[in-house]
Amino acid sequence: MTHSTSASAQDTRPPGPWRMALRSLRRNRSAVFSLGVLVFLAIASLLAPYYARYVAHTDPFVSNVAGSIMLNGQEVDIMQPNDNLLHLGLSPIGPTWHGSYLLGADSQGRDVAARLLYGGRNSLLISFCSAALCLVLAAVVGIAAGFCGGIVDIILSRMMDIMWSVPVYLFAISLSIVTLSDGLHLGPFIIESDNLILPICIIALVYVPYAARPIRGRVMALREAEFVMAARCLGVPRWRIVLQDILPNVTSTLVVLGPLIMAMSLLAESALSFLSIGVQAPAASWGTLIQDGEGLIYTRPMVAIAPGLAIVAVVLALNILGDGLRDALDVRDASHREQ
Amino acid sequence: MLMAALRRLGQTVFVLFGISALVFAVFFATPGADPTARIAGKNASPQTMQKVRQEYGFDRPLPVQYAIMMKKLFITQDLASYADRGELVVPEIIRAAPVTVSLVCGAAVIWVVVSIAMGTLAAALKGTWIDRTLMMLGLIGISIPVFWLGQVANLITQNRYHDTWLFSWVPALGYVPFTQSPWGWFKALVIPWVVLAVLFIGVYSRVLRADLVALSGEDFIRTARAKGLSPSRILIRHGLRTAMVTFVSLFGMDFAQLVGGGALLTEVVFGLPGVGRLTYQALTNLDLPLIMATVMYSAVFVVLANAAVDMIYLLLDPRVRDAR
Amino acid sequence: MKRVLPFLWGLMLPPITAHAAETPQMGGTLRILASSAAGTLDPQISYISLTKFLETPVYDALLTYPKFAGAGAHPVIANLAENVPQPEDNGLTYRLTLRKGIHFSNGQLLTVADVAASFRRIFAAGSPTAGPYYSAIKGAGACLKDPIHCTLSEGIETNPATNTITFHLTHPDPEFPEHLAWMHASILPASTPLHDMGNTAPPGTGPYQITDYNPTTHMHFERNPYFHEWSHNAQPAGSPDHIDVTFGLEPESAVTAIENGQADLMYENVPLDRLGEVGSKYADQVHIFTPLLYYYATLNVNEPPFTSLKVRQALNYAVNRHAMVIYDGGSAVASPQCQLLPEGTPGYERFCAYTAGATPQNPAPQWVKPDMEKARQLVQESGTQGMRVTIVTPSGGKSDNTALDLRSILESLGYKASVHSISPAIHFNFVQNSDNHVQISISGWNADYPSATSFLDTLFACSNFHPHSDNSPNMSGFCDPHIDDMMHHAAQLAQTDRTASNAAWAQVDRALMAQAPAVPLVQTKRVVLVSKRTRNVIITLNDEILLSQLQVP
Repeated sequence: MTHSTSASAQDTRPPGPWRMALRSLRRNRSAVFSLGVLVFLAIASLLAPYYARYVAHTDPFVSNVAGSIMLNGQEVDIMQPNDNLLHLGLSPIGPTWHGSYLLGADSQGRDVAARLLYGGRNSLLISFCSAALCLVLAAVVGIAAGFCGGIVDIILSRMMDIMWSVPVYLFAISLSIVTLSDGLHLGPFIIESDNLILPICIIALVYVPYAARPIRGRVMALREAEFVMAARCLGVPRWRIVLQDILPNVTSTLVVLGPLIMAMSLLAESALSFLSIGVQAPAASWGTLIQDGEGLIYTRPMVAIAPGLAIVAVVLALNILGDGLRDALDVRDASHREQ
Repeated sequence: MLMAALRRLGQTVFVLFGISALVFAVFFATPGADPTARIAGKNASPQTMQKVRQEYGFDRPLPVQYAIMMKKLFITQDLASYADRGELVVPEIIRAAPVTVSLVCGAAVIWVVVSIAMGTLAAALKGTWIDRTLMMLGLIGISIPVFWLGQVANLITQNRYHDTWLFSWVPALGYVPFTQSPWGWFKALVIPWVVLAVLFIGVYSRVLRADLVALSGEDFIRTARAKGLSPSRILIRHGLRTAMVTFVSLFGMDFAQLVGGGALLTEVVFGLPGVGRLTYQALTNLDLPLIMATVMYSAVFVVLANAAVDMIYLLLDPRVRDAR
Repeated sequence: MKRVLPFLWGLMLPPITAHAAETPQMGGTLRILASSAAGTLDPQISYISLTKFLETPVYDALLTYPKFAGAGAHPVIANLAENVPQPEDNGLTYRLTLRKGIHFSNGQLLTVADVAASFRRIFAAGSPTAGPYYSAIKGAGACLKDPIHCTLSEGIETNPATNTITFHLTHPDPEFPEHLAWMHASILPASTPLHDMGNTAPPGTGPYQITDYNPTTHMHFERNPYFHEWSHNAQPAGSPDHIDVTFGLEPESAVTAIENGQADLMYENVPLDRLGEVGSKYADQVHIFTPLLYYYATLNVNEPPFTSLKVRQALNYAVNRHAMVIYDGGSAVASPQCQLLPEGTPGYERFCAYTAGATPQNPAPQWVKPDMEKARQLVQESGTQGMRVTIVTPSGGKSDNTALDLRSILESLGYKASVHSISPAIHFNFVQNSDNHVQISISGWNADYPSATSFLDTLFACSNFHPHSDNSPNMSGFCDPHIDDMMHHAAQLAQTDRTASNAAWAQVDRALMAQAPAVPLVQTKRVVLVSKRTRNVIITLNDEILLSQLQVP
């Protein structure tokens, strides 16, 4: 490709598909920028325990309604009484634009900015893990259905159809409500209802049909491909064919689906937490923060607006990145999301 | 054709049985879900609890209870709620359905019109800044959580700017039946419509643009171009028509899922007493009859809609028929 | 708090009552908003306060609580009966005479046969209180076992000639007159079907009748054409010609609707987020009153670490009740609760055993601030630090805040605390069942009628602890025979000497708090918003706002 004199030995070989993709992705400025935004937000929230406390000067998990802070040399109550004839109602302190209570307090007197960082940790963690889990499950289901065909394909496809016929969010909400009521008992293992594994598994599960379909289609096409036929004729065991020939060729589909599924998982997680059946208190996620802000929307809208903007930023970045990957890897699929 | 229809029917019954049996089993496995004490009322004596248990048949084997519930739901239609004594669930769904249908139909009109306009325009101006801006707007629409968008819309129209000329017409949250006042119905729903449509405008305009761009390389478009037809005419007469096949199947699924209860977040945020909100309430109350009824309603609707989409598909695209 | 309230009344009531006195308003349509309906209309079945509120001007019992404002609106007075019966035969017999000339809204004359049938229907239709309130009637045991063949022939004797009704009890029930005034003892026509009436309202004797009801949308009241006022204090004639209730509007939207004059009264409290706005712009339309309701954390005395008295006391010392008041909207609408009777209940004497500088032996007059040092010391002595404690709370709403605050406190006392929030629909029954091993939970309790029994006996008597049952209102599983005796004594005294009985109940309150089977947190007030045009808001001890008395021009 290049005629430069300093071409190394590797460059003389034709570049592999992954290197080509990387190169084309690097040229896609919006995708690179999105990746930067994602990495920045991920680091900022993952490292929150190491710096947030020292900036905010409060513990974002301890209620602090009866406390007060120093602001511009004056002591200010965190819950401020309203100035009306009947002394009705209290409002949490609004954005101070200082280190502590940068974005104000929520109804429990906790620092919203600090909770935004901790909430981001959980939101990103859950969406990343559930996207990864979803892809693994979808790969297993898709390859099994596509490669084995026959009765296996029929059973798996019917199951996917059943899952597909219930609206995604309704499905996730039902599962959450049932598991939340008393945790999950799997034989000797008990998963407590406030364990993050629950939302991760639930969200991963509901998006499996979404990811398994394109994978199954791709595997079915590959099964008829010449090199797979050749391997079969040579008597290569099926598991080796799957590992050596099928899986590497499905990977590009998985990579493209990754960011898109993570974006959908993040939206699903925030919706569940917003309905207070996702991440359980006192832990936070961006969805629970929006839920906290709902009761204050008229007096302190910032409590709900800030986490919403964070969600939009991350999901947008993931979608742009997913588009960039698709163009780079030249994978066509009818990506489409549910409401 | 008849065989296909019969097979569909068989599959539908199988799906419905699977879902209902699952819901039923999960409910009775959930601790604290025994509705006897809730129905009997607080501090009811053991004898009153026993009376309730007998009356509702909770002392009978689970398969019998399941059969009775299915009979009451589908045949006699007198299944009563466990949470609100004496409240029949079938009429409750019949009352909620028009709300959801009003919401989803209005939103569908908006998203179909806007996304066709956006998608076609972007495809026609492929590679220009207009194309990029429109597609970025679509992507932003996909990325906004609908419940948050609804909250912000409420904040703006109900509170912050409610007293200005722009939003003073916005009524209090809630639903106004069309039969009661068509104008009130429109005013109450127009903001929920827009909020619900935003996501789908993003999805559909992007899908449509991608299809149109892909089609422009196909033979029949090239032929049309060779015949000397104007580019815009080709795009609309030939490209759009073909791209509609994907569009319609996508639309059928989404529409069915939304009417089947998928619009629940929008309904919850805007206080619309539709099927989605009803389902959500039933789930939070662990009110089995209502959960069963709403889930069945949703599944029936989605399965029927799938069948309808397949039929339309057959009519629109003969290739599909041959492939089967 | 007592000091705050008269001040508020003084501020708001005079202009309103003065206005009402000048021009009594009759007619018009009263428009009420409620976020959702409450299921069945059957007054003998429903156990929901919204239904009780709406049906007060529709149904009558033999006796009733007085329908005038103020803390003095108790004990019960005669309603459909001419007299309040005095207990005879050591409390085993009660005789009443039925008023003559009262008609149901279907035109039928009220007779003693209707009264006897209504009491049989309590059992036949399965009223929730059939066991707890009416099982003392002779023959009730058989009726509970076999409701279909219920006769109560020995328990209720009627004489159509003299219009008298005689109740025979198997054992004395000191609160039998109160139970005769309870909504489940409403008198319905003898022909009323013996099952839950659901969405159809049976005919009643009050000034209004429910003519239309759809639980998802609305309820409509018309005047009962056969009503005439027999006692203004028992069931006053109504002002508005029509009452319309609309269901389905969330409180946030309801506030806006009332501010804009689109409705007259909202049933729910003004949401906390809107209190400031309402207080500054609509102060003269706000009515604040104190219902007999408080929130508390039940401590299960049969589950560690709360088996230890020291731990229960420690938590009582450690709770910051000031924070609890803030969660509920500040001191104008909530007050710290430090005992097991709420303010306003007969027998209430304010004290606080667990605050800085107080002990159960030497209680302070009121709550001042938490005493963390003492709490930590008590926990240390109990040797239970490091145990896991799970707080079970109804999800959504303010209990979440309370539970999280308690979690912080338990953590700072050295426990590993977590919060488990479950659906509010099942929370109440879930925490009652001892099989679920709930250690600590957040609950609210309001009385059926103004009486110390409703709180102390129902929540802490041995007889109300039913292990392995979903219906066991003694959620703490607390049982102390000595305190049971004290409660029995106090209840008996009420038949002869109310003052002495109230003093005895106050003693029970203190004795129970010394054992600390619960952590009382906060007593909240109702903040009700009415439209600008609404006049004559009368708030009684037992029935809250009297719908029938609201005047809308």
